[in-house]
Amino acid sequence: MRPTFVIVGANLAGASAAITLRDEGFDGQIVLIGAEPDLPYERPPLSKAYLRGEVPFEKTLVRPADFYREHNIDLRLGVRVSKVDVVVRRLECTGDERVPYDALLIATGGRNRRLPIPGFDLDGVYDLRTRHHADRIRAEMAPGRRAVIVGMGFIGSEVAASLRTAGVDVVAIEPAKTPLLRVLGEEIGGVVGRLHRDHGVRAIFGDTVVRFEGAGRVERVLTKSGTQIDCDFAVVGLGIEPATEVVAGTAVRVDNGILVDELCRTNVDGVFAAGDVANHFHPVFGRHLRVEHWQNALKQGAAAARSMMGKGQPYDEIHWFWSDQYDANLQYAGFHTKWDQLILRGSLDRRDFVAFYLNGPRIDAAVALNRPKDIRLVIPLIKRRVVVDLENLRDPNVDLRKLATA
Amino acid sequence: MAARPVTVSQVADIKPGELAAVDVEGTRITIANANGRFYAFDDTCTHEQCSLADGILDGTIVTCACHGAQFDVTNGTVVAPPAPTPVRTYSLHVRDGQVVIEV
Repeated sequence: MRPTFVIVGANLAGASAAITLRDEGFDGQIVLIGAEPDLPYERPPLSKAYLRGEVPFEKTLVRPADFYREHNIDLRLGVRVSKVDVVVRRLECTGDERVPYDALLIATGGRNRRLPIPGFDLDGVYDLRTRHHADRIRAEMAPGRRAVIVGMGFIGSEVAASLRTAGVDVVAIEPAKTPLLRVLGEEIGGVVGRLHRDHGVRAIFGDTVVRFEGAGRVERVLTKSGTQIDCDFAVVGLGIEPATEVVAGTAVRVDNGILVDELCRTNVDGVFAAGDVANHFHPVFGRHLRVEHWQNALKQGAAAARSMMGKGQPYDEIHWFWSDQYDANLQYAGFHTKWDQLILRGSLDRRDFVAFYLNGPRIDAAVALNRPKDIRLVIPLIKRRVVVDLENLRDPNVDLRKLATA
Repeated sequence: MAARPVTVSQVADIKPGELAAVDVEGTRITIANANGRFYAFDDTCTHEQCSLADGILDGTIVTCACHGAQFDVTNGTVVAPPAPTPVRTYSLHVRDGQVVIEV
């Protein structure tokens, strides 16, 4: 009998896995289950071009509807998986439907973090993860309306930029000293902060929201320092938590996501994970790490599919993402949590630079503003753990490609 | 309308592994020198309109620097997303040290 592979998560990671299974010649049954009602789509435009109404939803689809029919992928949308039995290899879905599997891929992604802030449930207070969320924010956007952004991480920063572009008045509240501080550090975060200020965002750093107030609908936001900001709506971006609840109560190990090895395998036979939910062992960095990037969803979904077919290769993709804000293109590659040296090429003031995060003589990660090509060139240096000559790295006249052979 | 030849560059001006954008009657076209063989295609990435000439050429694959989409320069097909559709390619000849494309 031909095997059944079930994928939970009809998103980019899940769809990428289904597509790869067929590409690689898997001829068993593929069941792709998603809680959202929409066909698998890409999320990056939700805070950018789609939010601004510049691209129709159809353009964000991973594949058109026909594709799934033509490739015999059993797509079940609007279905929640309530329970997984990893012993008998069977899922239970809403409506008591049971789906047996031979191999299972968990690609459930993440769920927005919600803090117990009074008034979070008021109308006009939004967060952003799905197309549905984006549609609701978009309906609020009009020149002269007043918005408060809570949290200047990537989602908050991108939404702030899209709102300003649409003529919305924006006040942003961020507990750290700059946007993106935890990831990029104060120096680079400061550049992003000034970018927003120059585009008319009133940013309040070092303060937190303690309450949303309004009669049924948000009218103002109160901060810890006592500032009161009147608004028409608010968008909260506090990051995500990995959506691991589907394996709760099973033997599948969970620690900041579902733990998998470099072949996307969990500790339980026949159960795999990929995408935002997967805390994966990365051979290049020699540790487990979990990222929330478009490219990882795409590539790790595909890697997991090959693994399910028994022809997996260690997944050693150098993680990479972009964040377009206004006319600025920010890109990051690699992985770092701390660094002992930050080496800069270019100018922070002119917003034209690449910065390298080093631990010892090796580049762990790099971030660039309006220098996307440099990010492409640094990826091989990160992947091969090249010991770089710091003087050459600092010298803008030395081609990054040359450093690989030094 | 019949295609006609337009000289867009000198062969010597585009080294192996390099990309160069040229303007042909209002259309920006990228010329790629893939290890000595030349190819021509629309400069504008089909994803978010970045210039492919600002990207990176590796063999016959061009990577858009903005968001990483990849195209095969020999036929314009998408090798890696996020580009949704291929880029248009143009016939190209090398004659007397000049790069000539059909537009």
